[in-house]
Amino acid sequence: MHGMSAPNRGRWRRRVPAALLALSLLVAACGESGPYIPAGLVRTPYPEVGHLALPESTNGGADFNFRAQPGELLLLYFGYTGCPDICPTTLADLRAALRQIGDRAERVEVAFVTIDPDRDADSVMTAYIHAFFAEGHGLRTDDPDLLATVSAPLGVNYSVSANPDGYIEVVHSAWVYVIDEQGRLLLMWPFGTEPEDIAEDLKHLFKDLDADA
Amino acid sequence: MPDATARLSGALAVLVLAAAACGGASGPLAVTDVWSRASAAGQETGVVYFEISGGASSDALLGVTVPRAIAAGAALHETVAADATGTTMAGHDMGDMGDGMTMQAVSRVPIGAGATVVFEPGGYHVMLLGLVEPLVAGASFEVTLTFESAGEIVVVAEVRE
Repeated sequence: MHGMSAPNRGRWRRRVPAALLALSLLVAACGESGPYIPAGLVRTPYPEVGHLALPESTNGGADFNFRAQPGELLLLYFGYTGCPDICPTTLADLRAALRQIGDRAERVEVAFVTIDPDRDADSVMTAYIHAFFAEGHGLRTDDPDLLATVSAPLGVNYSVSANPDGYIEVVHSAWVYVIDEQGRLLLMWPFGTEPEDIAEDLKHLFKDLDADA
Repeated sequence: MPDATARLSGALAVLVLAAAACGGASGPLAVTDVWSRASAAGQETGVVYFEISGGASSDALLGVTVPRAIAAGAALHETVAADATGTTMAGHDMGDMGDGMTMQAVSRVPIGAGATVVFEPGGYHVMLLGLVEPLVAGASFEVTLTFESAGEIVVVAEVRE
């Protein structure tokens, strides 16, 4: 990290504002015994997404299921490589978080799904995700129906449309999804979640995971 | 979370100091902490972030350029919330982070006298289009910002990981 600034104080972070501050003060007042409140959003019951799969650009197009390896966690994100601001910021935040959890980072896999397959060729996907994670997974399909099918259960929104002047406008939701070995969506982080908070959530998820093992 | 409290009081202290500083004469408009993110091979777009401190009178940022050796073009952009399909998840107030985000071009960014305008992830940013070569951490390049009153200001962006 560079000491010059905290590059990630986006305005989205500031929106999390007073309610969370009040909540954290309440939790602090309860002492150590209170339950852990994750920074990410937990949906109940956990959405089951392990049956969903997309071709993996980084593995010759073999199916990659939305399910972690045994004892691991899968972090799934939907974006596009031409995204200059949100997507690289999110991936860099994840990388920063993984550096804060020691050996457990080896039990985390990161997969990046392109919502703009027309412009994101398999080779581009591979170079892109590997620039952030040496063993990251790039997922891509040419089939719009398949992309829609795997996006829906997670709640991913996206649209790619050309303006009359030829400019291609991309709109996409920007959550990171945490999935376990059973294919359960345990948690999701909104854009702007601090790496420290992501790391803390991961530590607690691993604590639960290892307690159950 | 004593950490958050400490951070808050730190922020308040800065605010107080900043307010106190407004009493005196402010310096000329300044652009600081200019940085760009390293890019992957094949990636066509890049980004530049910085902080602008307004001078004694109000001004506005009108445009940006980078050398042709870096990118074919550069534009002022802002990341904004957008309705994609309007999907919401029952029981959760997703606020404006839930739906979608997109970017829009910005033609003029007002810089109030003595005000600070931050170009940062999730907000205003300079988008680089048509990167000539991947941007490598540790490298640097010139960025020319054009202001309504202050004219052209050339700063150096440091490429960070």
